Amino acid sequence: MADLQIINVSKSYGAVEVLRDVNLSIASGEFVVFVGPSGCGKSTLLRMISGLEEAPTGEIRLEGKVVNRVDPAKRGVAMVFQSYALYPHMTAFQNMAFSLTMAREPKAVIKEKVGRAAAILRLERLLDRRPGELSGGQKQRVAIGRAIVREPKVFLFDEPLSNLDTELRVQMRAELIQLHAKLGTTMIYVTHDQVEAMTLADKMVVMNGGIIQQHGTPLGLYDDPDNKFVAGFIGSPKMNFIKAKVEAVRTDAITLSDLGGCSRLELPFRNFDADIREVELGVRTEHIDIAQDAGTTDILAAKVAFVEELGDVTFIHTDLPTGERLVVRSSKARHRGSSTECFVKLDPAGVLLFGTNGERIRSA
Amino acid sequence: MTTDVGLIRTAAPGYALDLSIWTVLKWTVAICVAVVAVFPIIWMINVVFAEPGVPVSINPRLLPTSLSAGIAKIDTILSETSYLHAYYISITYSLLTIAGVLLIGSMAAFEFALFEFPGKRPMFVIVMLSLMVPTAVTLIPTYLLTANLGWLNTMQGLVVPGLASAFGLFMLIQFMRTIPREMIEAARLDGASHFQIYRHIALPMSKNALVTLAILIFMQTWGNFIWPLIVAPSPQMYTVGQVVGLFNAPFSHVTVDIVMAANLLAALPPLIFFLLFQRKIVEGIAMSGSKG
Amino acid sequence: MFDKKHIPHLLMVFPFLALFAVFFLYPIVSGFVYSFYDWNATTTSRFVGLANYQRIVHSRDFSKAMWNLGSYIIITVPVGIAVAFCLALLVDSFKGFWQNFFRSIFFMPVVLPMFLAATIWRWIYTPNIGLLNTTRGFFGLPSVQFLNDTSTMLYSLIAVDVWVSAGFNMVIILAGMKNIPRQYYEAARLDGASKLQEIFYITIPMLYPVLFFVTTYGVISALQVFDTPWLLTGSSFSQYGGRQNALLFPVMDMMGRGFGELKFGQAAAYGFILTTVIVSVTAVMFALRKKGHQP
Repeated sequence: MADLQIINVSKSYGAVEVLRDVNLSIASGEFVVFVGPSGCGKSTLLRMISGLEEAPTGEIRLEGKVVNRVDPAKRGVAMVFQSYALYPHMTAFQNMAFSLTMAREPKAVIKEKVGRAAAILRLERLLDRRPGELSGGQKQRVAIGRAIVREPKVFLFDEPLSNLDTELRVQMRAELIQLHAKLGTTMIYVTHDQVEAMTLADKMVVMNGGIIQQHGTPLGLYDDPDNKFVAGFIGSPKMNFIKAKVEAVRTDAITLSDLGGCSRLELPFRNFDADIREVELGVRTEHIDIAQDAGTTDILAAKVAFVEELGDVTFIHTDLPTGERLVVRSSKARHRGSSTECFVKLDPAGVLLFGTNGERIRSA
Repeated sequence: MTTDVGLIRTAAPGYALDLSIWTVLKWTVAICVAVVAVFPIIWMINVVFAEPGVPVSINPRLLPTSLSAGIAKIDTILSETSYLHAYYISITYSLLTIAGVLLIGSMAAFEFALFEFPGKRPMFVIVMLSLMVPTAVTLIPTYLLTANLGWLNTMQGLVVPGLASAFGLFMLIQFMRTIPREMIEAARLDGASHFQIYRHIALPMSKNALVTLAILIFMQTWGNFIWPLIVAPSPQMYTVGQVVGLFNAPFSHVTVDIVMAANLLAALPPLIFFLLFQRKIVEGIAMSGSKG
Repeated sequence: MFDKKHIPHLLMVFPFLALFAVFFLYPIVSGFVYSFYDWNATTTSRFVGLANYQRIVHSRDFSKAMWNLGSYIIITVPVGIAVAFCLALLVDSFKGFWQNFFRSIFFMPVVLPMFLAATIWRWIYTPNIGLLNTTRGFFGLPSVQFLNDTSTMLYSLIAVDVWVSAGFNMVIILAGMKNIPRQYYEAARLDGASKLQEIFYITIPMLYPVLFFVTTYGVISALQVFDTPWLLTGSSFSQYGGRQNALLFPVMDMMGRGFGELKFGQAAAYGFILTTVIVSVTAVMFALRKKGHQP
């Protein structure tokens, strides 16, 4: 168990800046997930914590000690790789025992430690097999076992589930949560899959373009994103974005106009900066409803583009006259796909405002 | 493949006949070629294992006729010449070369294939360019260098100049490139030192390539004629090739069957090797060839 | 900027690079220097400029060797590859055990040490009592001095050469054939292509890179031909090349000058002439390949 601080870390390959001024503090025992699109720098950050990648500027502190110059093997971190990286010429037992063998531990100790890790992962009966004779999920467990055997202060996972099929992935996710509960060790997990991040994380760190966009609890980020990127990245289907003009500003409310062409919307809002004339609304699919008719001005007219009917829920993809796409989640009734015209209504409580620069505009 | 064709063309009239003619023809040709390929070897064996004084070529036989006569001839050669000593020299020469090339080559290939270090690119380019240079060019200067080192007629003179095999390096690099980076990183995190990664990860993972290369080097050194000829001309250092060369010399006044017995003895190790490892050898050649 | 972390890498490549420098780079450079000296092991060496090169180029042996080499390559490379290609097709038409069986049998000659193959063939070619001449005698044909008649010597050599190398090329071509996706053949069959059309319109074009490799490799090794003609003729530094030097080739000529006449300077110069030839031929082949790729 260990706490970890990352202070002012930057990294570039030649002219390409991979990480810019990253600051992050991870508490002991936390399950932290780095999530972001490919190339956002999340893997690089993980590899810098492991020591496989150098951190030329800034500091990485593990239990208060700067580890920038400490050899990867001596940092007390263990890593589980995307490809598992099991040694193909060794049995599962030898794979898990490799680090102890390198450290010249006595045979009895090795046997005992590997045995304990194998028991946690229910691998006892597979220890004599080589990686070639194991299934994807089993390989994954051996790779995790190899990490457990080292009794690390921090576990690092680099997209460990992305080579598994969907069903197995869900199952392994549950196992990882249990494992974390059992070991209580700090775990850092990298993925590009936001669902995986949401289900696993105590703390979720969203990255893009080498910058930490926001970190916090998964639901905290879902409900209260700092910027358009985080808002759009988390949640499936993606949050809807609609451009609008600010028509009137009062102390505790504003009026927006030109939504989807001509609609108006009244929003409760404290201390809106009256200089801002244009905003972008972010509305999640569950905060939009299909309306019966164009009764009031806050109702938008739209055309149905297509409908995804999943049984428990229906996603209605509609096009606004402005060309913007609006996805509506409807769990009440199944959509009757005959009409192409429809009306939608936004729930003011679920509307988030973003400036033209993509930053969130919060009510004070 | 023929049956597939058959399935598609069953409608064609007279196809069954066509197929059988093709099959017969195919087998005939294949067997004829096989006979041409192995005939000289079989002929050699027949000459050796036959009563002396009856030239086989005049009275060709399919099978050896006299086992004892063949053994007697081999016995004559082994007792009257230093053939066994030449065997010893050739085997030592081959084994040392194999061990050296595998060790030195795999160490260098490990670095070239998996790591970055200053000067890597130019070094690699120079070594690969050397694959284009004919052996004939370096032969004489290398001989002179070996002579200056005082290594003529020594084992190190035979072995050492051949150890930096660019071909071996190339083959091992090609293979080691397929070792995933993550494997190396996992080992690093597991606390393996650079050398331990080479020893415990890269070497065992390259076992197939190393075995194939070892076999190819064996074939090559065993059959190497020209280098022993010039660098170890003393009878004390004769390799099997040179001893056989003495028998083979046009005016050696030795009877055919004795010459053939000497040749047969020289051919045995590679033939046995081939029969044991034929699949590995053939696939090794195919691999190094189709990647070139 | 030198970093301590590079030291283990450099230590690991050091043995190879040291040996490579001493036994490859140094000989090349020193050979180049030797080639400008009159140096025959007994007398002190003397700088002669380009005289070694001139002497070689103007010698009759050189022109003879080059002429032989040209005729040899023009026949042996195409014939060898054609035979190897046909063998590969033949082996490919078998399945499972028999494919492996014939592949191995056809490969057998490659395994034999060259000195051995040459000996066997010398006996096959022996006048009067050799296998070939016995067979000819059986059909009432006169005995031919295969290795001593200037009209047959080159062909006798090529026959041995093809016998030795066909298996090697066959294995590479066969591996190339295995890499051609089946779908191409299936598509061609649906298009109604015959077996022969399949070979010409799919197999050969798809094998282009492999055939290029085999040809280039064949030409480069043919340019350096030494063992076989050396062993088929005199096999000693005082006697090689056969009657009227009909089987004299450049590397033999070079070796003779070096170790027979002990003119090491000339031999070194010979080596560089050969390298130049080989490198230019290779360059031309690669240029042709590039051109061949552009429609």
